[in-house]
Amino acid sequence: MKEVKLFVGPQHPGMHGNASIHMYVDGDIINRAYLLPGMLHRGFEKSMEKRTWMNNIALIPRICVPEPDTNEMVYAMNIEALANIEVPERAHWIRMLVLELARLAIHLMAFGGCGGPTGLYTAMYWAQADRDGILELFEEISGQRIYHMYIVAGGVRKDLPKGIEKKIIAYIDDLEARLPDYEELVLNNPSIRKRLVDNIILPKEVVWELGVTGIGMRSATGEPYDLRKVTPYARYDKVEFDVPTATYSDAQTRMTLKYLEMYQTIRIIRQVLDMMPKGKVRAKVDDGSALRWKVPAGQVYSAVEASRGEYGYYTVSTGELMPYRVAVRGASFPQGLLGLEKYLPGHRIDDAPLWFDTMGICSPEIDR
Amino acid sequence: MNNIIKEFVDNVTAKFELMGVDYPADLQVSLDFDQRDIHNALAYIKGAGWTQMSLLTCVDWIADNEFQLVFILFNWKNGVRLQVRTRIDRDKPVFTTITNIYPGAQYYERDVHEFFGVEFEGNPDSYKQLFLENWDDIPPLRKDFDAIAYSDRKYPARKYKANFSTEAGESK
Repeated sequence: MKEVKLFVGPQHPGMHGNASIHMYVDGDIINRAYLLPGMLHRGFEKSMEKRTWMNNIALIPRICVPEPDTNEMVYAMNIEALANIEVPERAHWIRMLVLELARLAIHLMAFGGCGGPTGLYTAMYWAQADRDGILELFEEISGQRIYHMYIVAGGVRKDLPKGIEKKIIAYIDDLEARLPDYEELVLNNPSIRKRLVDNIILPKEVVWELGVTGIGMRSATGEPYDLRKVTPYARYDKVEFDVPTATYSDAQTRMTLKYLEMYQTIRIIRQVLDMMPKGKVRAKVDDGSALRWKVPAGQVYSAVEASRGEYGYYTVSTGELMPYRVAVRGASFPQGLLGLEKYLPGHRIDDAPLWFDTMGICSPEIDR
Repeated sequence: MNNIIKEFVDNVTAKFELMGVDYPADLQVSLDFDQRDIHNALAYIKGAGWTQMSLLTCVDWIADNEFQLVFILFNWKNGVRLQVRTRIDRDKPVFTTITNIYPGAQYYERDVHEFFGVEFEGNPDSYKQLFLENWDDIPPLRKDFDAIAYSDRKYPARKYKANFSTEAGESK
């Protein structure tokens, strides 16, 4: 059959975000595929050099839309490392709470995203409705639903509102009781299994070649390589949780790991709410107005475990009012660009969105 | 500073001529190499357990007329993170690719080529455009690129007529 050139996205219901896959297909089998990024490029790294350390907090959550809190966390961690700031104890626990709620939200979104390309819209409706519950909690905590701008250098912006603990417990109790329904609906559903099992396999050796982290890595290598365990930040060394792993990474395994991680996240949130101390939530970075803060010179990299893998910022300061350079390590950069080019060929056209969804590719963090 | 880091830094110092060592955060070491040593050093470090390249990026030190290439490497066994850095001439920014050591660097090199103009010899893809479609100015993350001036030149401010919209029901 003749080879046909085909663009999937950026305007396509199956695509995740504003990126396009440029593919050459033979029938419905992909011969070659390349990601065409850049449609969401807003020059974040350049803009950050022209804004003060504090101003940037309004800009950075936009680098990853569904999980913005990791951006704020790594940015704050870098400033704290450069300026040698002691973060108040309570702030560490609040940060963990926010990061885990965000992880829950994006895993739910992945379940919804899996429903789209497989034609199971029920999953999407359920997951988006459940995610909305988390957004409401975020609105109460930070004032915003999507971009929270809540984790700032030195701690968090303000203390938790009164009575939020009860609402969070009520929400996670309710979600935990209904999580088995997701397993029945998606993971055990014969029509979905037909699309996910033994499809889009990520072999173990490829992980090292590409530099894939997160669920992609853990599902292939069988090693509990999670930054929360390997280099604990905040107070992850004080809570108990397991890191689910597997040794055969097909789409079904990766979805199952996301499912199992949701239970672990709920477990962490419970412990955080139990163990959270009282006290101050924010330390000052420098004297005077926040818009005149200066950060001591230095070059530092910090990373956290996002839902998609290692998410980090490299920050260079020359001791001025603005950062000299901030470089973003998007968690999905390896699997989104090189992984797609090398390992998507051979699959069917309709498997491309499943690659995006199960590998957790977020296009704004590639176009930063 | 724990023993693993100390032992590792001692080993590297014995093998290569280091320009500088720093400890910017817990479990993090920055190592500055000469441009000639970097490939040997990266191969040695990868063999020592730093199998993951997290990031390859560049910093434009315009006052020194130098680009600094930064390789962030991570060892999952002991959790130690390295910043391997080197400086290259800003007027002739040419560097040999590291894709034979870390294949995952392929797209990072394209990214750095596009935004800083550093050429990576041996990476045939590094010249292709990736993010910036039909870019017609100096690479945008260089410090001498002025985004506002570019925008003014590329998209001149248009003059609008006072009433450019018509009233509802009125013909143009």
